[in-house]
Amino acid sequence: MAGGDVAESKSHGKGKKKKGRRLGVRIDMTPLVDVAFLLLTFFMYTTSMSRPQTMEINLPPDKNVKVEMAETKLMTLRVNDKGVIYWNIALDAPKVIEFRDLRAFLAEKAAAIPGLTIVLKIDRQGKYRMMVDLLDEFNLAGVQRFSLAPLADQDKTLMAKVQG
Amino acid sequence: MPKFKPHRQGYRIDMTPLVDVAFLLLTFFMLTTTFKPSEEVTIVLPASHSPNKLPESDVITINISKDGRLFLGLDSQILRRRLFGKENENKASVEVPKEQLAKYLVNARTANPKLRTVIKGDKEADYGITEDVMNILQDTQITRFNLVTELAR
Repeated sequence: MAGGDVAESKSHGKGKKKKGRRLGVRIDMTPLVDVAFLLLTFFMYTTSMSRPQTMEINLPPDKNVKVEMAETKLMTLRVNDKGVIYWNIALDAPKVIEFRDLRAFLAEKAAAIPGLTIVLKIDRQGKYRMMVDLLDEFNLAGVQRFSLAPLADQDKTLMAKVQG
Repeated sequence: MPKFKPHRQGYRIDMTPLVDVAFLLLTFFMLTTTFKPSEEVTIVLPASHSPNKLPESDVITINISKDGRLFLGLDSQILRRRLFGKENENKASVEVPKEQLAKYLVNARTANPKLRTVIKGDKEADYGITEDVMNILQDTQITRFNLVTELAR
């Protein structure tokens, strides 16, 4: 068999000082390559290169600190459980605004009123997405200061008045 | 003219460089892959234009599922064992009742003060629960946190 052949040629070489013809060993690498590429594709697909984005929020350290500010710089955005957005500045009556118009509107207001602060009040039954979308709009419109406040019952009656 | 078949030169391609490169890439991907422990809940992220990336390590994640349940996730196994016990150390996140969230957060932060808090909420989750979570964060003096989103197109 093969093993015997090798042994024989070896002894030949030693005994007669004649070099036995070396069999060039060639390994067929194709299966190796196949497996390597299979694993490679597997790892490439399972690797998640992209990390998700994050949005940073800073809250004031103490809830009970009151910040005094001019009413004219204070815009209140109220969102009801159906996602309808109402806006007003200071104590004006709330007005409805469409979400798609919000970015331009906010950018315009932010440019017109330096130091504009937005108080965002979202209904507890509203969606989390609404908050993220709105905060994103604030960032895009360049509104630096905003705060989140709970939507009280009086806010709900205010909104109901506009609807009715 | 006699039919003369030209002697075909059987050529062989040397595959060695190909194999080298393949294995190099393979090793790279094997080393960079981190297998995520299976999530307890699937969370559909909302989209934003925020350019910040989620930090890779030292993160404590508050997952808010669609039905308003809270899951606390940690990236380090040692910390998970310390906080949730040995039986939960291989879970990506553990369900935590809202009342105990503050306690867990404080414990986690005393164990590793470098922890950054992120909220990973489902986009269809109620705002109310998020508001509660943010109040808890404020009460536990975590005033800087991140909201996980995916990039809006």
